[in-house]
Amino acid sequence: MLSLKVGRFLYLAVNWAVLAFLLLPILIIFVFALNPTPYIEFPPVGVTLKWFDKFFASPQFMSALLLSLEVAALTTIAATVLGASAALGIARGNVPGSRLITAIMLSPLMLPAILTGLALFQTYVLMDVGRPLWGLVVGHCLVTVPYVVRTTLAVLHNFDLRLEEAARNLGASPQRTFFEVTLPLIKPGVIAGGIFAFIVSFDQFPVSLFLVSPGQETLPITLFNYLKYDLDGTIGAASVVSILLAALVVIGLDRTVGLRSYVKL
Amino acid sequence: MSARIEIVGVSKSYDGAARAVDDIHMTIEPGEFFSLLGPSGCGKTTTLRMIAGFEMPSEGIIRVGGQDITRVPAHKRDMGMVFQNYALFPHRTVRENVAFGLRMRKMPRAAIAKKVDEALAMVALTGFEDRMPGQLSGGQQQRVALARAIVIEPRVLLCDEPLGALDKKLRQSMQFELKQLQKTLGVTLVFVTHDQEEALAMSDRIAVLSRGKVEQVGTPTEIYDRPATRFVADFIGETNLFRGELVGTDGAPALRVDGHLTLALPAADGLSGAISVGLRPEKVRLTPGGAGAQAQGTVESANFQGGHVLYRIALAGNRHVLAQSPNDGSGAPLAAGTPVSLGWTPADLVILKD
Repeated sequence: MLSLKVGRFLYLAVNWAVLAFLLLPILIIFVFALNPTPYIEFPPVGVTLKWFDKFFASPQFMSALLLSLEVAALTTIAATVLGASAALGIARGNVPGSRLITAIMLSPLMLPAILTGLALFQTYVLMDVGRPLWGLVVGHCLVTVPYVVRTTLAVLHNFDLRLEEAARNLGASPQRTFFEVTLPLIKPGVIAGGIFAFIVSFDQFPVSLFLVSPGQETLPITLFNYLKYDLDGTIGAASVVSILLAALVVIGLDRTVGLRSYVKL
Repeated sequence: MSARIEIVGVSKSYDGAARAVDDIHMTIEPGEFFSLLGPSGCGKTTTLRMIAGFEMPSEGIIRVGGQDITRVPAHKRDMGMVFQNYALFPHRTVRENVAFGLRMRKMPRAAIAKKVDEALAMVALTGFEDRMPGQLSGGQQQRVALARAIVIEPRVLLCDEPLGALDKKLRQSMQFELKQLQKTLGVTLVFVTHDQEEALAMSDRIAVLSRGKVEQVGTPTEIYDRPATRFVADFIGETNLFRGELVGTDGAPALRVDGHLTLALPAADGLSGAISVGLRPEKVRLTPGGAGAQAQGTVESANFQGGHVLYRIALAGNRHVLAQSPNDGSGAPLAAGTPVSLGWTPADLVILKD
């Protein structure tokens, strides 16, 4: 009985410790963003919104934030369409060597993203295309498509093919069957992958590092450059804004298109 | 509304492997309740899937209502199908599930609503329109699947072991309902099952399949009383199988099974060489003691089954025969060790092809 209580206590203690380990850095960022002193101080000496004022008043940060959102949105759309199509092809296409193709599709996850960025940078130089926006989006897609492939393959794995046969039998053409039955049922996996894609793109540093053009930088790059010369609460404010934006997008996607569903992920 | 289905020389093989379906010929009449019966792997489901258009025959032709549909895609075949485990769309309500086929046929909204109501009333599910399939019991899901299939008024209704997942009581009542519904609608129904009792109880005619080939096509009584092959005799119900050499004359043929047992056969033409015969347990009459019957033996065990008793009788030469006697209420079954004589008429013996 006693050992049971001790076990339970240890179990809870470990859980809380992990939770604290994950959340404390975020809490410190919030403290940093709201504290009037221009350096990290604990305990905080007061509450101010001046760093937020400074962040939103900075044209540099604002254009970086907008660019990050734009790139993340384009990446999410492209990676979701590409990744879901690839997963469908792998799962349904009867292609020989589909395991190998899956491994290749997922390989950007294993590769250090900085190498992906460097390789793309050299490719663009060789192609002599400069550093266009689409170049950045392509780079982000490369590291986000694997997430969509993975989550979509997971739902396709448990998909009952008889549901599609039932739709065909009732008179639905293959296209109609896809939009009426297949897509709605794999949607949770596709959306989950899309959310990963958004977050990975929005926070992307190593790939962007090589692909942004000077004066046209994404938020993580701008923050890094700022950090090199200044350290004040603006960084904290910028971090808080980007955390809240990411959370907002995730919740928004969940509410509108729905993550939880009749299909188990 | 209902249509004749003709299956002409249809075969199906996958990647050059052994044929899952091997040169099948059958004609299913309009309005008929036709069962494809056999053990798993006999090709019955593959045959059904070829009729539905989910598989293409490697060889042969399938005609429905006189029209060759072998290469017509599944969604243009105008057939209803009830799947094993029902295959209801989990993301749609009962109403949307049933309406699906009508919506694909571009029927106006009001007409769809009316038809869906009628179909749900027919399967006694009025009031369940807005439930999701996950909220229904197995029997209710079964009814939705049925309503979804019949609401499009198909020429042909295909059922792939539709009652397999239900418990025994429910299965029996669904058997009656399905049969009744099929009669009311007059639709041609092709029913796949591995359950011989189900096939015997429901079908107008049955095709027994084994290893991709048709063993026999006939009415339930034909299949049971006059099985054509050893496989059919063995697969449908209990049967005593004997194999031996043909002896005796043309007018009075007999089968010498072994040194102890020779069976008088019904007169038949073209018999020669080694022959198998089947004898149903209920055709064997048991008389305690006695002599002068077809064979003598002793009761080895008696299996009381309520309405009847199934005896295992030991014959000379280490041979056993099953005999079934109705429970006439005269008391306890014959005890083990009781000597009995076994009687039957030669016409009860069915000559079987291998």
